[in-house]
Amino acid sequence: MTDIIQAVINGVLTGALIAIPAMGLTAIFAVLRYVNFAIGPLATCGAFAAWVLNFRYGWPVLPAMAGSFVTVAAIGLAVEQAALARLRPSGALTVAIASIAVGIILENVLRFSFGNDLRAFDLPLMRDWRFWGLRVGPQQLQTAGIAVAMMAGVFAFLRFTRYGKAMRAVADNPDLARLFRMEPGRIAMATVALGTGLTGVGGALLGLDSAIDPMSGSRLLLPVFAAAVLGGLGSIPGAVAGAILIGIGEELSLLVIPATYRSAIGFLTILLVLSFRPGGLFGERAA
Amino acid sequence: MLEVEGLVAGYASAERILKGVSVHVEPGELVTLVGPNGAGKSTLLKVVSGLVPAREGHVRLGGADVTRQGAAERARAGFAFVMQERNVFGTLTVAENLELAWPGPSRQMAEERARMYGRYPVLAEKRRALARTLSGGQRQILAMAMALMTAPKMLLLDEPTAGLSPKATEELFEVVLGLRDLGLPILMVEQHALEALEVSSRGYVLVSGSNAAEGGGPDLAADPEIRRLFLGG
Ligand SMILES: Nc1ncnc2c1ncn2[C@@H]1O[C@H](COP(=O)(O)OP(=O)(O)OP(=O)(O)O)[C@@H](O)[C@H]1O
Ligand SMILES: [Mg+2]
Repeated sequence: MTDIIQAVINGVLTGALIAIPAMGLTAIFAVLRYVNFAIGPLATCGAFAAWVLNFRYGWPVLPAMAGSFVTVAAIGLAVEQAALARLRPSGALTVAIASIAVGIILENVLRFSFGNDLRAFDLPLMRDWRFWGLRVGPQQLQTAGIAVAMMAGVFAFLRFTRYGKAMRAVADNPDLARLFRMEPGRIAMATVALGTGLTGVGGALLGLDSAIDPMSGSRLLLPVFAAAVLGGLGSIPGAVAGAILIGIGEELSLLVIPATYRSAIGFLTILLVLSFRPGGLFGERAA
Repeated sequence: MLEVEGLVAGYASAERILKGVSVHVEPGELVTLVGPNGAGKSTLLKVVSGLVPAREGHVRLGGADVTRQGAAERARAGFAFVMQERNVFGTLTVAENLELAWPGPSRQMAEERARMYGRYPVLAEKRRALARTLSGGQRQILAMAMALMTAPKMLLLDEPTAGLSPKATEELFEVVLGLRDLGLPILMVEQHALEALEVSSRGYVLVSGSNAAEGGGPDLAADPEIRRLFLGG
């Protein structure tokens, strides 16, 4: 029983990390209607940006996270403008495939610049807390806390600010938005910045929790995509719920199958959701 | 107020839907545009509002040529367009829909919106509901109220009574006539062609992308040719 509770706790903490890039992926899909598979390597870029700021320049965690957001948002915007936006007339599939290519390029640029070594952040070592036979790392709690704060921030932005509402309006109906003076093109760029920036922070948080290498973000892609699909592509609350469920599913699976098969949870989820409920658990926009 | 001259326009897959259409609306006029399905009525309003670009011809609002402007710019210039379909943000609440429609400083938004709630109490009742949960009649009222939040100089209406019950249709006609009485120029496409022409100062008949007839509203409504076309007789 304790095992199961421990797995659920770990799952929620992992899920909170998956949720941040999943929100980014789903936000970009909601407005631009393509799946950005570059988010794996973009998350790695975020991890390295935060690591450089923290390890080389001694920035504390929170400013390093902010730096990671800005850096990856800038990379995301540059990629969108230079490559993906030009391909949009050829359809969402073309853009999605191009995003895979962009991801491969980014990953190799990172490998060239930083090598393949594992790198860790400069963080004070803290002992795990133990209670009732359960174990929680303070570092894990801190990263999960940052993730939850970011989720709350994104929700508040979308729900309470005029710009956030305009983003939802453009996602809902770009033509109608134009009739009410909104500029869908500009709002799409803001969404790319927000979505990729979140992805960067997601990667950085993952790095805080473990160590980073040029592949660490790519390993995140599958659970992140699965979370967004499970929650219904285009739904931000769905992405968060999907991420928590995927996180719990992955951790529970460790109780019965070897860790190497953990990613099977993501695969299986995508397969099942797309076969039986293509709109996701909460999605209104069934594909 | 509105001058449309020799419009040629269409879509990527069908380049010439409108083949040189001209219409005009004078200050304070209610003008009705009728025609068979697929005649290009909606396309005409989309070109006038800037959603679909014109290949040839001109659109002028209050004397200013807006033909090269996009939809957002034309909205700023004073056009409001209630589309035939998908004319509210379904995933946003009624209150949010009205808020986004408001063009002015946010301080005055709540006041304007409260005025709109006073005018259309059903919107006040449903303010927290998602727009896609509204009934057809409520949705059309919301779409009209959104257009009015922009304090437009020119209102374009595309089949505002489509799919409404007879009672809701009646109510919507009252709303439109009320706006006309306030002096707002209106160009309306309407499926209840004869009823609409009866109350319009002028009307146009559009057939396969060209002007087929025009005249005083009641005159057109009384014309035997037109009656045959629209009464299916
Ligand atoms: N987005 C589009 N892409 C391609 N063709 C279109 C598009 N929208 C409309 N059409 C075509 O343009 C023609 C005119 O359509 P439009 O909607 O303007 O007609 P309408 O007079 O409004 O008809 P209705 O009375 O059915 O509303 C039709 O043949 C239609 O199939
Ligand atoms: Mg139409």
